Amino acid sequence: MQQLFGYRSKGGVARLMAHLIKRGVVRRDGRGRFVPAVALIPGLKLLGSIQAGFPSPAEEELVDTLSLDEYLIHKPEASYLVKVTGDSMIEAGICPGDLVIVERGRNPKFGDIVIAEVDGQWTMKYFEKAGSKTVLRPANKRYKEIIPKETLTIAGVVVATIRKYH
Amino acid sequence: MYSVSSFPQAIAHIDADAFFTSVEQALHPELKGKPVVTGKERGIVACASYEAKALGVKRPMQLFEARKICPRLICLPSDYETYSLFSKRLVAIVRRFTPAVEEYSIDEVFAELDGLRRIYRMGYPEIAWKIKETIQREIGITVSVGLSASKTLAKIASKENKPDGFTVLRARELQCFLAKTPLDRVCGFGPNSVMLLKKFGIHYVLGFIQKEESWARRFFGKIGVELWHELRGEKVYGLVLEEKTGCQTVSKTKTFTPPSGDKDFVKAQLIRNLESALIKLRRYKLQAGRLAVHVRTHDFKSWGVEADFDRSTSSTLHAVSLAAELFEKVFKSGVCYRLTGVVLSQLTEDRTVQYSLFDSLPKIRALRSLDRVIDGTHEFYGKHTLHLGTVLWLGKHRQHLNQRGDLPQRKTRLLRGETFRRRLNIPLWQIAV
Repeated sequence: MQQLFGYRSKGGVARLMAHLIKRGVVRRDGRGRFVPAVALIPGLKLLGSIQAGFPSPAEEELVDTLSLDEYLIHKPEASYLVKVTGDSMIEAGICPGDLVIVERGRNPKFGDIVIAEVDGQWTMKYFEKAGSKTVLRPANKRYKEIIPKETLTIAGVVVATIRKYH
Repeated sequence: MYSVSSFPQAIAHIDADAFFTSVEQALHPELKGKPVVTGKERGIVACASYEAKALGVKRPMQLFEARKICPRLICLPSDYETYSLFSKRLVAIVRRFTPAVEEYSIDEVFAELDGLRRIYRMGYPEIAWKIKETIQREIGITVSVGLSASKTLAKIASKENKPDGFTVLRARELQCFLAKTPLDRVCGFGPNSVMLLKKFGIHYVLGFIQKEESWARRFFGKIGVELWHELRGEKVYGLVLEEKTGCQTVSKTKTFTPPSGDKDFVKAQLIRNLESALIKLRRYKLQAGRLAVHVRTHDFKSWGVEADFDRSTSSTLHAVSLAAELFEKVFKSGVCYRLTGVVLSQLTEDRTVQYSLFDSLPKIRALRSLDRVIDGTHEFYGKHTLHLGTVLWLGKHRQHLNQRGDLPQRKTRLLRGETFRRRLNIPLWQIAV
């Protein structure tokens, strides 16, 4: 302790320790050795306040509710918006001016509405299979179904349509 | 280094290829395969697509230079909002695989794959491959992945086969690989270090790690020793996992072109930067004790001055008086400036307030309420809806607002319900269906 505190005599150390005992920082244990009398580690920093008591009854019930975001979008990292300009899917209820939510990288199932790139053109149609061939069917009598000749990429599946009035 | 195992640790570095232009090409498919650059509003090439790079366009060329080399170059304004959305998605996908993810920069991510082999029942290379493949499928951009035993090695590996690369660097392959790796590939060796190593006859990384550790310490210090270990496959740098919860300083700078000598306009630029910096400070619930103001002339000379606040603050109204004083000290009439900036330092937490003898408590409380109202309004209507009158002078030179008359498409083609300041946080895929 002499070295620690920089004292040249043991008496100095003894005086210091007597002071510390008087102040209640340090005490002697059963065997006469010095032990801390208070917690030397300061209180842990509160990372935030926790509400004490029970949550309100309303809060409890709302724990399992879905937000509109969660309801419409299942894979946030892969979801994109597309503004519809054509009317090829009007009979499915998708009108020009609507927004659709498209999930990229999703495997299309028969009957899904997909966004596809066919022979260099983008289109939104029903995804159907006739045997081993893929058929893209419109929802509008004025359009013909598309059977891709050269290239076909299914870029994503339409999971929701959004139409905002106000 | 003389390790028998492949991966004493497994760290993957995921680096997006030509990130900004890749994002643009993902949302505008008609740009795929074409030479595209971003940075139009600054007049420089901020990012060049690989097609543009192949034609000789380099970062950070001036746009007119780039157009000379490549007449059919497509120049786009930067859309940082969309790039940030994609960056967050990139990180989120990597996080699906492992919680130990570090966002190193807007287009680079580190992931620690240790211990995942049992869960996924595949080896580390397969897991890394799956991450790469998922990113490409869901986001539509290509990334280059490097997998190795330390961060430094993983970064070297990811550069190896860019673009769309996938490089696995096993610890037992290090000797062969690093014998051919040039020194400047190491993140941590700058031009000076490379010069010094060349003086010792070392031209490739293997030469460096074959030296004794004490040699590395003697000539390169603590960093040298850390790199020495990292390059030998012994992990020194862990991943920085936390999201930023605080900062040492907050600074905001903005360049404006063409440069201007108009005092009102330059001051408005400065105050706008100050407002942005204070908004950020309030978001982190901090206050600043010191303010530095700097300006840069059109010929790239910088002038700055720094002063302490009378009281630590995060209030716009309180800070602006000091900022105006400091501005008077650095601004010279007759000089054209191209950039202003503020740096707020000596940050402390909002809760500990030391009032000086001359403070008026009611005034301080009033300022705080004002800030609360401002921040609340911004949450709803967008940043900078409410601002100081001085900033109105920004409108004096309209051409500065939309540099080169260009805004990213996302800001002009608004959806119903969106405003110029606030848009949906889902990217708009620009295809006609």
